[in-house]
Amino acid sequence: MITGDTALIAAHDITKTYAMEGAPVHALRGVTLDIRRGEFVAVVGPSGSGKSTFMHILGCLDRPTSGRYLLDGRDVSDLSDDELSAIRNRQIGFVFQGFNLLARTSAVENVELPLLYAHDRPVSPAERRRRAMAALAAVGLQDRAEHHPNQLSGGQQQRVAIARALLNDPAMLFADEPTGNLDSRTSVEVMDIFQRLKDERGITIVLITHEPQVAEYGSRIIRFKDGRVVSDHPNTSRRAAATELEAVALGPSEDV
Amino acid sequence: MSTRSTLSISLRALRRNRLQTVLTITGMTIGVAAVLTMIAIGSGAETAIEDQIRAAGMNLIVVTAGNYKVKSTEDFGGGAVEPSAALRRNDEPVVRAAIWVPPTQTKVRVAFHPEDDPMEKHNHPTAKQRLGDSEAGLGSAATLTAADAEAIRGLDGVQYVAEGLHQNVHVKAGDKRWFTRLHGTDERLPLIRRAWTFGSGRFFSAREQSRAEQVAVLGAVAAQRVFGDANAVGREVALWNQPFRIVGVVSTTSWMVAPAAGDDQFDAVYIPFSTVHRLLNLSKLNDITITAASTGDVSRVMGEVTKLLRARHNIGEDKPDDFTVTTQARQALAKGGMRPDVARAVVGNVGGLEKVTLEQLGKTLDRATRTMTALLAGIAAVSLLVGGIGIMNVMLLSVTERTREIGIRRAVGARARDVRSQFVIEAVALSLAGGIAGVIVGLLAARALSQYLRWSTTISPSAVLLSVGVAAAVGIFFGWYPAKQAARLDPIQSLRYE
Repeated sequence: MITGDTALIAAHDITKTYAMEGAPVHALRGVTLDIRRGEFVAVVGPSGSGKSTFMHILGCLDRPTSGRYLLDGRDVSDLSDDELSAIRNRQIGFVFQGFNLLARTSAVENVELPLLYAHDRPVSPAERRRRAMAALAAVGLQDRAEHHPNQLSGGQQQRVAIARALLNDPAMLFADEPTGNLDSRTSVEVMDIFQRLKDERGITIVLITHEPQVAEYGSRIIRFKDGRVVSDHPNTSRRAAATELEAVALGPSEDV
Repeated sequence: MSTRSTLSISLRALRRNRLQTVLTITGMTIGVAAVLTMIAIGSGAETAIEDQIRAAGMNLIVVTAGNYKVKSTEDFGGGAVEPSAALRRNDEPVVRAAIWVPPTQTKVRVAFHPEDDPMEKHNHPTAKQRLGDSEAGLGSAATLTAADAEAIRGLDGVQYVAEGLHQNVHVKAGDKRWFTRLHGTDERLPLIRRAWTFGSGRFFSAREQSRAEQVAVLGAVAAQRVFGDANAVGREVALWNQPFRIVGVVSTTSWMVAPAAGDDQFDAVYIPFSTVHRLLNLSKLNDITITAASTGDVSRVMGEVTKLLRARHNIGEDKPDDFTVTTQARQALAKGGMRPDVARAVVGNVGGLEKVTLEQLGKTLDRATRTMTALLAGIAAVSLLVGGIGIMNVMLLSVTERTREIGIRRAVGARARDVRSQFVIEAVALSLAGGIAGVIVGLLAARALSQYLRWSTTISPSAVLLSVGVAAAVGIFFGWYPAKQAARLDPIQSLRYE
């Protein structure tokens, strides 16, 4: 699968302009960058810098106003809506700040959701349930399967969302401020999951955050400002969430 | 995606959004039920008005035994003529005079009855009974038989035929006794008396008729006199000291013929004419009541009946009828304030009289029906509009609230068409449930209304189809359209939707 040099994501001069009343808003003013397989890219920048818009475009949730975006070698602008849906279903997992779980729906049914739309290889209801339970177990929530989102803590909801994102074994995981609504300890837990996904399964991760310390968990840090990339460098001093969790488990402090 | 998995997604979504589901179904139910009830009341009113007018005898033809008819060779046969024929005979004035004056000195017209003249006897099955019938007069002459009625049934354009034998009887039950009219008739009489309703029980059956059973139906007034407010059905009364079982009590919804003591319809007792024949050893009929299938056809049917009976009774060309064919309109005139001889003269000389009356009644009926149809269409349109807007609102509210759900589904890989079919299936399921519930509630409401307001209601299959169809169309459209719009957006727009 891993093809070395070939960029999984190749964005060339991407712009995004929102037609607002009065002056148009330029969210992205020409972003060019490549992301290779297995990278854990942290995108940081103040709010309004265009980092979320960039992630939405990479995740095929939104379309650029101009520019070329090659995903796994295919030009996304050539793809039909059905093909984009299939890409989101099979190759991409999303984790959002606001969790975006279906309300009044049990955790396991939320996790099952991507399999319901796996049209090219249908899965029986029993198999769906089995895989969803396995995914929940992987994030330590097997005993919360029948709980509804409003019966779960923020951290638990985010872990349900991660289990959902990973159910179809995607090649990429896009996370938009995944720790924004979580306390610091839970944030580290989520980062631990991400780092293990990168290290153990080679999943490409794009993490959007406005907190520089969270960005430190990534293997590459890209800074956005006013719709442009202002810096892009590998992170040599990567924080290791697993180590931090062990340290916290020993000490009394919640603060990391 | 398979239909089954879309179906399960939809049903799961409906279960999840229980409050919305209940609200939508309730809205749908109220919409459909309101439309249905309004249509039921409206068309019930329409039917009621038609019934009232029919109850007044629009298409009624009565053949009475005997004949008090002016003896004339040129105008026999109860003579309603078709308007075209009447127009061709424009040398004859329609009304010659308010009081009859002989048109020529040579043709003398006199009131005539065959029973008055022994020389008028001719070959007839009931000839033997005739001489013994001391009360022979109009209606009691023994010239009509059940076979005559049966033959009339075979005529073209005849809708229903009911035999009639009338007597005055004492109805006895215990120590109560009531002197009233007895009508020996056919089980089809209720079809002719359209405004009849059976508060309890039923009319006697064809089987009871053919076996000449001793069963009786009481008019509401007679039942009240004999049994008070107690239910008469199943009780026994004595007629001619013979036991009769009461099978029904008849009343009416018509305001034109309200039941009253002394009237002919509800201060009365009805039994099979075959039973009268058996018990009293008779074979004659007093009269035969006929309805024409179409009100415009009454004159032709009258002519046919006259021709048929004259042939059956072997009446020669130069002899007058031994029966009288008349319409309710003509009878009403004869029963009116005019002196009998004057009325007789008018009836005998104004050829197109019943035609004129019928045409006026017909026009009234047409106008009433047109007005009611327009009213009904208006009521249905307004109800459908109101119901439709209600359903539209609930559907729009539900879909708008669920735009985020659409965004989430799209983000995890649902295609636009997956979302559309999910929402369409949801809307169809809601519409079906709401539609069925609405029909049930509408039927119950209509029934309750007709019971408590004593107003007859009619729910036709087309009203059900119309109300459910429009409600479902509105529900499905406003379930599908916003979902289609939301599904067309880039997923992020649905996700960001507040």
